[in-house]
Amino acid sequence: MQSILAVDDSASMRQMVSFTLKNAGYSVTEAVDGQDALEKSGQKDYDLVLTDQNMPRLDGIGLTKRLRDNPKFRGTPILILTTESSDQMKQAGRAAGATGWLVKPFDPAKLIEVIGKVMR
Amino acid sequence: MKPGKPHKAKRAASPTTDGQAARDSGWIDQQIAHIAFPVVSAADLQDHLMTATNDLDRLQTLLTHACDTLLEGFYGASEEIRALREAHVDKSDLVFDQTLKHLGDAVTALQFHDMATQLIAHTHRRLRNCADRLARDAFAEDEDGETIVEEPPLRPNPVTQSEMEAGSVELF
Repeated sequence: MQSILAVDDSASMRQMVSFTLKNAGYSVTEAVDGQDALEKSGQKDYDLVLTDQNMPRLDGIGLTKRLRDNPKFRGTPILILTTESSDQMKQAGRAAGATGWLVKPFDPAKLIEVIGKVMR
Repeated sequence: MKPGKPHKAKRAASPTTDGQAARDSGWIDQQIAHIAFPVVSAADLQDHLMTATNDLDRLQTLLTHACDTLLEGFYGASEEIRALREAHVDKSDLVFDQTLKHLGDAVTALQFHDMATQLIAHTHRRLRNCADRLARDAFAEDEDGETIVEEPPLRPNPVTQSEMEAGSVELF
Protein backbone atom coordinates (compact mmCIF):
# COMPACT_ATOMS: atom_id res chain seq x y z
CA MET A 1 0.00 0.00 0.00
CA GLN A 2 1.40 3.42 -0.96
CA SER A 3 1.82 5.84 1.88
CA ILE A 4 1.17 9.57 2.00
CA LEU A 5 2.25 12.14 4.55
CA ALA A 6 -0.62 14.65 4.95
CA VAL A 7 0.36 17.92 6.60
CA ASP A 8 -2.10 20.60 7.78
CA ASP A 9 -2.52 22.59 10.99
CA SER A 10 -6.30 22.43 10.64
CA ALA A 11 -7.73 19.30 12.25
CA SER A 12 -10.83 19.37 10.03
CA MET A 13 -8.68 19.59 6.89
CA ARG A 14 -6.51 16.69 8.04
CA GLN A 15 -9.66 14.65 8.57
CA MET A 16 -11.04 15.47 5.12
CA VAL A 17 -7.73 14.70 3.42
CA SER A 18 -7.28 11.44 5.35
CA PHE A 19 -10.86 10.38 4.65
CA THR A 20 -10.38 10.96 0.94
CA LEU A 21 -6.97 9.28 0.70
CA LYS A 22 -7.88 6.26 2.84
CA ASN A 23 -11.04 5.71 0.78
CA ALA A 24 -8.81 5.63 -2.28
CA GLY A 25 -6.65 2.92 -0.70
CA TYR A 26 -3.66 4.90 0.53
CA SER A 27 -2.02 4.63 3.91
CA VAL A 28 -2.00 8.09 5.54
CA THR A 29 0.19 9.61 8.24
CA GLU A 30 -0.91 13.00 9.55
CA ALA A 31 1.35 15.84 10.66
CA VAL A 32 0.14 19.05 12.35
CA ASP A 33 2.69 21.40 10.78
CA GLY A 34 5.91 21.47 8.75
CA GLN A 35 8.13 20.78 11.72
CA ASP A 36 6.05 17.77 12.75
CA ALA A 37 6.17 16.55 9.13
CA LEU A 38 9.93 16.93 9.05
CA GLU A 39 10.25 14.80 12.17
CA LYS A 40 7.88 12.15 10.78
CA SER A 41 9.70 12.11 7.45
CA GLY A 42 12.77 10.85 9.27
CA GLN A 43 10.91 7.89 10.76
CA LYS A 44 9.40 6.37 7.62
CA ASP A 45 9.48 6.51 3.83
CA TYR A 46 6.57 8.14 2.02
CA ASP A 47 5.47 7.91 -1.58
CA LEU A 48 4.00 11.41 -1.58
CA VAL A 49 3.77 14.46 0.65
CA LEU A 50 0.62 16.59 0.59
CA THR A 51 1.09 19.77 2.57
CA ASP A 52 -0.69 22.98 3.50
CA GLN A 53 1.24 26.25 3.05
CA ASN A 54 0.33 28.52 5.99
CA MET A 55 1.25 26.70 9.18
CA PRO A 56 2.99 27.60 12.46
CA ARG A 57 6.66 26.70 13.05
CA LEU A 58 7.37 25.62 9.45
CA ASP A 59 5.23 26.40 6.39
CA GLY A 60 4.68 24.25 3.31
CA ILE A 61 7.32 25.94 1.16
CA GLY A 62 9.85 25.72 3.99
CA LEU A 63 9.01 22.05 4.43
CA THR A 64 9.42 21.43 0.70
CA LYS A 65 12.89 23.03 0.73
CA ARG A 66 13.96 20.99 3.74
CA LEU A 67 12.67 17.74 2.23
CA ARG A 68 14.38 18.42 -1.09
CA ASP A 69 17.65 18.83 0.80
CA ASN A 70 17.20 15.24 1.98
CA PRO A 71 18.32 12.74 -0.72
CA LYS A 72 15.56 10.39 0.41
CA PHE A 73 12.89 12.89 -0.70
CA ARG A 74 14.56 14.30 -3.80
CA GLY A 75 12.28 12.34 -6.13
CA THR A 76 9.18 12.20 -3.96
CA PRO A 77 6.18 14.14 -5.29
CA ILE A 78 5.30 17.05 -3.00
CA LEU A 79 1.93 18.72 -3.52
CA ILE A 80 1.00 21.97 -1.79
CA LEU A 81 -2.71 22.20 -0.93
CA THR A 82 -3.54 25.71 0.24
CA THR A 83 -5.98 28.62 0.19
CA GLU A 84 -3.18 30.72 -1.34
CA SER A 85 -3.65 31.26 -5.07
CA SER A 86 -1.29 34.11 -5.97
CA ASP A 87 1.18 33.55 -8.78
CA GLN A 88 3.96 34.82 -6.53
CA MET A 89 3.30 32.09 -3.98
CA LYS A 90 3.01 29.44 -6.66
CA GLN A 91 6.36 30.48 -8.11
CA ALA A 92 7.90 30.29 -4.64
CA GLY A 93 6.48 26.79 -4.28
CA ARG A 94 7.84 25.78 -7.63
CA ALA A 95 11.26 27.24 -6.84
CA ALA A 96 11.29 25.30 -3.55
CA GLY A 97 10.80 22.07 -5.48
CA ALA A 98 7.07 21.42 -5.16
CA THR A 99 5.53 19.11 -7.76
CA GLY A 100 2.20 20.92 -7.90
CA TRP A 101 -0.03 23.56 -6.38
CA LEU A 102 -3.64 22.81 -5.45
CA VAL A 103 -5.99 25.54 -4.25
CA LYS A 104 -8.51 24.74 -1.49
CA PRO A 105 -11.18 23.58 -1.28
CA PHE A 106 -10.22 20.34 -3.03
CA ASP A 107 -12.54 18.06 -4.92
CA PRO A 108 -11.89 14.47 -3.70
CA ALA A 109 -12.07 12.87 -7.13
CA LYS A 110 -9.75 15.50 -8.62
CA LEU A 111 -7.29 15.14 -5.76
CA ILE A 112 -7.10 11.38 -6.21
CA GLU A 113 -6.65 11.84 -9.96
CA VAL A 114 -3.78 14.30 -9.48
CA ILE A 115 -2.09 12.09 -6.88
CA GLY A 116 -2.36 9.09 -9.20
CA LYS A 117 -0.80 11.12 -11.99
CA VAL A 118 2.22 12.41 -10.04
CA MET A 119 2.89 9.07 -8.35
CA ARG A 120 3.09 7.18 -11.62
CA MET B 1 5.11 47.59 28.63
CA LYS B 2 2.06 45.77 29.85
CA PRO B 3 -0.06 43.42 27.78
CA GLY B 4 -3.81 43.88 27.53
CA LYS B 5 -3.64 47.60 28.19
CA PRO B 6 -5.42 48.65 25.00
CA HIS B 7 -8.62 46.99 26.18
CA LYS B 8 -9.25 49.96 28.46
CA ALA B 9 -9.61 53.43 27.01
CA LYS B 10 -7.23 55.94 28.52
CA ARG B 11 -8.41 59.49 29.20
CA ALA B 12 -6.32 62.62 28.93
CA ALA B 13 -5.12 63.85 32.32
CA SER B 14 -5.83 67.39 33.54
CA PRO B 15 -2.70 69.54 33.94
CA THR B 16 -4.13 71.42 36.95
CA THR B 17 -3.77 70.78 40.69
CA ASP B 18 -6.68 70.87 43.17
CA GLY B 19 -5.91 74.44 44.23
CA GLN B 20 -5.80 75.70 40.76
CA ALA B 21 -8.97 73.93 39.66
CA ALA B 22 -11.44 76.71 40.41
CA ARG B 23 -9.24 79.43 38.92
CA ASP B 24 -8.56 77.40 35.84
CA SER B 25 -12.13 76.28 35.20
CA GLY B 26 -12.25 78.43 32.12
CA TRP B 27 -9.05 76.88 30.83
CA ILE B 28 -10.42 73.40 31.52
CA ASP B 29 -13.62 74.14 29.68
CA GLN B 30 -11.57 75.32 26.75
CA GLN B 31 -9.50 72.14 26.84
CA ILE B 32 -12.59 69.94 27.09
CA ALA B 33 -14.18 71.75 24.19
CA HIS B 34 -10.96 71.16 22.29
CA ILE B 35 -10.27 67.52 23.16
CA ALA B 36 -13.57 66.00 24.32
CA PHE B 37 -14.86 65.07 20.93
CA PRO B 38 -11.83 63.22 19.56
CA VAL B 39 -11.08 61.39 22.84
CA VAL B 40 -14.68 60.30 23.37
CA SER B 41 -14.96 59.30 19.72
CA ALA B 42 -11.70 57.41 19.91
CA ALA B 43 -12.86 55.57 23.05
CA ASP B 44 -16.17 54.77 21.37
CA LEU B 45 -14.43 53.54 18.25
CA GLN B 46 -12.05 51.44 20.31
CA ASP B 47 -15.03 49.87 22.10
CA HIS B 48 -16.57 48.97 18.77
CA LEU B 49 -13.33 47.44 17.53
CA MET B 50 -12.91 45.37 20.68
CA THR B 51 -16.54 44.25 20.51
CA ALA B 52 -16.00 43.19 16.89
CA THR B 53 -12.91 41.15 17.81
CA ASN B 54 -14.82 39.50 20.68
CA ASP B 55 -17.68 38.70 18.30
CA LEU B 56 -15.18 37.13 15.90
CA ASP B 57 -13.92 34.94 18.75
CA ARG B 58 -17.48 33.80 19.43
CA LEU B 59 -18.05 33.19 15.72
CA GLN B 60 -14.92 31.00 15.65
CA THR B 61 -16.21 28.99 18.61
CA LEU B 62 -19.61 28.52 16.95
CA LEU B 63 -17.99 27.47 13.67
CA THR B 64 -15.73 24.96 15.37
CA HIS B 65 -18.64 23.47 17.29
CA ALA B 66 -20.79 23.26 14.14
CA CYS B 67 -17.94 21.73 12.15
CA ASP B 68 -17.22 19.12 14.85
CA THR B 69 -20.90 18.12 14.85
CA LEU B 70 -21.04 18.00 11.06
CA LEU B 71 -17.90 15.87 10.88
CA GLU B 72 -19.27 13.48 13.48
CA GLY B 73 -22.45 13.08 11.42
CA PHE B 74 -20.44 12.77 8.23
CA TYR B 75 -18.26 9.96 9.60
CA GLY B 76 -21.26 8.21 11.13
CA ALA B 77 -23.11 8.25 7.81
CA SER B 78 -20.00 7.13 5.91
CA GLU B 79 -19.47 4.16 8.20
CA GLU B 80 -23.14 3.15 7.95
CA ILE B 81 -23.01 3.29 4.15
CA ARG B 82 -19.82 1.27 4.09
CA ALA B 83 -21.26 -1.37 6.42
CA LEU B 84 -24.47 -1.57 4.39
CA ARG B 85 -22.50 -1.95 1.20
CA GLU B 86 -20.41 -4.75 2.69
CA ALA B 87 -23.56 -6.58 3.78
CA HIS B 88 -25.29 -6.06 0.47
CA VAL B 89 -25.13 -8.86 -2.09
CA ASP B 90 -24.87 -6.59 -5.10
CA LYS B 91 -21.99 -4.30 -4.08
CA SER B 92 -22.19 -2.31 -7.28
CA ASP B 93 -25.66 -1.08 -6.42
CA LEU B 94 -26.24 2.35 -7.95
CA VAL B 95 -27.75 3.68 -4.71
CA PHE B 96 -24.47 3.13 -2.85
CA ASP B 97 -22.44 4.70 -5.63
CA GLN B 98 -24.70 7.74 -5.64
CA THR B 99 -24.57 8.05 -1.86
CA LEU B 100 -20.78 7.85 -1.84
CA LYS B 101 -20.66 10.52 -4.52
CA HIS B 102 -22.81 12.77 -2.33
CA LEU B 103 -20.42 12.18 0.56
CA GLY B 104 -17.55 13.14 -1.74
CA ASP B 105 -19.30 16.41 -2.54
CA ALA B 106 -19.70 17.03 1.19
CA VAL B 107 -15.91 16.69 1.61
CA THR B 108 -15.44 19.80 -0.53
CA ALA B 109 -18.03 21.79 1.43
CA LEU B 110 -16.73 20.64 4.82
CA GLN B 111 -13.45 22.44 4.16
CA PHE B 112 -15.26 25.70 5.04
CA HIS B 113 -13.95 25.51 8.62
CA ASP B 114 -10.31 25.85 7.63
CA MET B 115 -10.98 28.73 5.24
CA ALA B 116 -13.30 30.55 7.66
CA THR B 117 -10.77 30.13 10.47
CA GLN B 118 -8.03 31.74 8.39
CA LEU B 119 -10.33 34.61 7.41
CA ILE B 120 -11.38 35.20 11.01
CA ALA B 121 -7.80 35.10 12.31
CA HIS B 122 -6.66 37.59 9.69
CA THR B 123 -9.55 40.02 10.30
CA HIS B 124 -9.22 39.64 14.07
CA ARG B 125 -5.56 40.60 13.90
CA ARG B 126 -6.26 43.63 11.71
CA LEU B 127 -9.06 44.91 13.98
CA ARG B 128 -6.99 44.34 17.09
CA ASN B 129 -4.10 46.29 15.56
CA CYS B 130 -6.50 49.22 14.87
CA ALA B 131 -7.81 49.14 18.46
CA ASP B 132 -4.28 49.01 19.89
CA ARG B 133 -3.03 51.87 17.74
CA LEU B 134 -6.04 53.93 18.75
CA ALA B 135 -5.24 53.31 22.40
CA ARG B 136 -1.62 54.23 21.89
CA ASP B 137 -2.18 57.36 19.79
CA ALA B 138 -5.41 58.85 21.10
CA PHE B 139 -5.13 58.44 24.85
CA ALA B 140 -2.59 59.94 27.20
CA GLU B 141 -0.04 57.79 28.98
CA ASP B 142 -0.98 56.77 32.50
CA GLU B 143 0.66 54.84 35.33
CA ASP B 144 0.25 51.53 33.49
CA GLY B 145 2.82 52.67 30.96
CA GLU B 146 3.08 52.31 27.20
CA THR B 147 0.49 50.31 25.29
CA ILE B 148 1.41 47.17 23.38
CA VAL B 149 0.28 47.23 19.78
CA GLU B 150 -0.41 43.87 18.16
CA GLU B 151 1.33 43.60 14.80
CA PRO B 152 -0.97 43.87 11.79
CA PRO B 153 -1.02 40.97 9.31
CA LEU B 154 2.18 41.13 7.28
CA ARG B 155 0.59 39.71 4.15
CA PRO B 156 -2.75 40.11 2.38
CA ASN B 157 -5.58 37.85 3.42
CA PRO B 158 -4.63 34.31 2.30
CA VAL B 159 -8.25 33.40 1.61
CA THR B 160 -9.47 35.07 -1.57
CA GLN B 161 -12.19 32.55 -2.39
CA SER B 162 -15.76 33.79 -2.15
CA GLU B 163 -17.46 30.47 -2.76
CA MET B 164 -16.90 26.79 -1.96
CA GLU B 165 -16.23 25.64 -5.51
CA ALA B 166 -13.20 23.33 -5.84
CA GLY B 167 -9.98 25.28 -6.43
CA SER B 168 -7.50 25.12 -9.28
CA VAL B 169 -4.79 22.50 -9.80
CA GLU B 170 -1.41 23.32 -11.33
CA LEU B 171 1.34 20.76 -11.86
CA PHE B 172 4.85 22.16 -12.36
